[in-house]
Amino acid sequence: MALLELDELTRRFGGLVAVDHVSMRVEEGEVRAVIGPNGAGKSTLFNLITGVLKPTQGSVRFAGESVTGLPTPRICQRGIARTFQLTALFPQMTARENVRLASQAREAGRWQFWSGAAVFASAGCRADLALERLGLTAIAERPAGLLSHGDQRLLEVAMALAQEPRLLLLDEPTQGLSVEETAQAVETLAGLLAESGMTVLLVEHDMEVVFRLAHRITVLHRGAVIADGPPEAVRQDAEVQKAYLGGFA
Amino acid sequence: MLALAPLVFPTYGMTLLTEALILGVFAMSLDLTVGYTRLISFGHAAAYGFGAYACGWLLLHTPLPMVAAIPLAALLAGVVAIGVAWVCTQATGVSFSMLTLAFAQLLYAVAYKWTSVTGGSDGLAGIPRRPGPLGLHVFVSRNGFYYLVLIVLFGAFLFCRALVRSPFGAVLRGIRDNEAKTLALGYNTRGYKIAVVALSYGLGALAGALYAPFAGFANTELLFWLLSGQVLIMVIVGGAGTLIGPILGAVFFLTVEHQLSNYTEAWGLFFGLIFIAFVIFAPEGIWGLIRARFVRRSAVEPEFRRGVARAR
Repeated sequence: MALLELDELTRRFGGLVAVDHVSMRVEEGEVRAVIGPNGAGKSTLFNLITGVLKPTQGSVRFAGESVTGLPTPRICQRGIARTFQLTALFPQMTARENVRLASQAREAGRWQFWSGAAVFASAGCRADLALERLGLTAIAERPAGLLSHGDQRLLEVAMALAQEPRLLLLDEPTQGLSVEETAQAVETLAGLLAESGMTVLLVEHDMEVVFRLAHRITVLHRGAVIADGPPEAVRQDAEVQKAYLGGFA
Repeated sequence: MLALAPLVFPTYGMTLLTEALILGVFAMSLDLTVGYTRLISFGHAAAYGFGAYACGWLLLHTPLPMVAAIPLAALLAGVVAIGVAWVCTQATGVSFSMLTLAFAQLLYAVAYKWTSVTGGSDGLAGIPRRPGPLGLHVFVSRNGFYYLVLIVLFGAFLFCRALVRSPFGAVLRGIRDNEAKTLALGYNTRGYKIAVVALSYGLGALAGALYAPFAGFANTELLFWLLSGQVLIMVIVGGAGTLIGPILGAVFFLTVEHQLSNYTEAWGLFFGLIFIAFVIFAPEGIWGLIRARFVRRSAVEPEFRRGVARAR
């Protein structure tokens, strides 16, 4: 059974069709990349899946149940974690506090308003694990706002991981990174994904990153799916080349 | 140290200090929303006035003792505040502030017109400090009442401190720093905001409920927007997001008001200048200054925080 199913998902902003009848099935354990030029509707797609935007038409099913139109926290609580295209952190908290707050969202005691030693211990334990997996242990006690941009991007992934999601949405994880930082981040991510077998939906501009990480690629152009298949097939697709890849392949 | 105050201060000083500590509870309650959640309420007088009227009415029209009427009034305000918070948190930023102000003004108008219950423009007068059973009459005298206020302040402080250090408090700081992210992590941020606003109003009403038997009256001034502005100033001058700061801010405000008004009617003008100086030169407030002076580690922190704020 597919973990995530999008059926004829559509979102209009006035006259603009940002996402145009997109249907897609992401299988359990799959790393799926969504690529497309600027304005192709990739981020809007993420916002539709996580309920930040309501679809004009169509439906989103997660783990066999419809989540269309549910509020964001309810959808995320079912096991979806996301990172943002523009780094979204709590800059005044330490790296560890950031991850712990993310992990706390999966605790039954997250509403507890008296001493939460047990909640903090359990959430902190998962936070430490996530920090370690992304090689951030050394900077765990530093305020997130003072970390390098590369570490901030990884910290956001650590926050998502600490939630132990069934589906991880990564919105341009290497956005704004230097060539070396990108290479390093991709290796970290590749190792992580291979090890965890997590289901991932990845939006990315950098083709090298996509071909390194993805099992399957969906190409969006002006909100609509124009190609869908394994990396090699997509690379050779004539329409994709015309729309997007240019001289790359 | 504060417990020994009655031995040192003259009677008038004790009255002033008692009022300052009541305002301390009031300012601290506002710090939960302003300092810890960055929800700027501009109608916090609604909580204070509601608490004062409710407690005053209970003491005038029921046989309840003071120690029962005060928490009951606060509880009542907290429950009513859930509805108010539900409406106000529909909006964010300035719109939130305006909605809280609107509710306070609404309550002001009600208190002014509903003469049969509130006494209209005269307010409620002659509110007794009714002693309870079990020797609770000790709180009736001037110094006894001071100790009652001190106990409430201390209890409220411990409650707030536990709250901001709890998992709930961690989510509040998340909302303060980045609400969209907190939402995406799976937190029902609206629910947390409603809860903290209701708690803040409840505690603010607790302060108002202390004021009614303290002063012996409750009038519409306690609901007026001027008080909402003043308590916001106490929080900022004392140091938002520190709990202790707003208490110091309240004491400072009342002391300065008292001293300046000996010399000039336009004391508000001078206090305005002090306020401006704090915002520009000491945005961390009085408590921030004290910590910077005595605690080395925290001295770095504000500088860092400003750095982060600039970087953003």
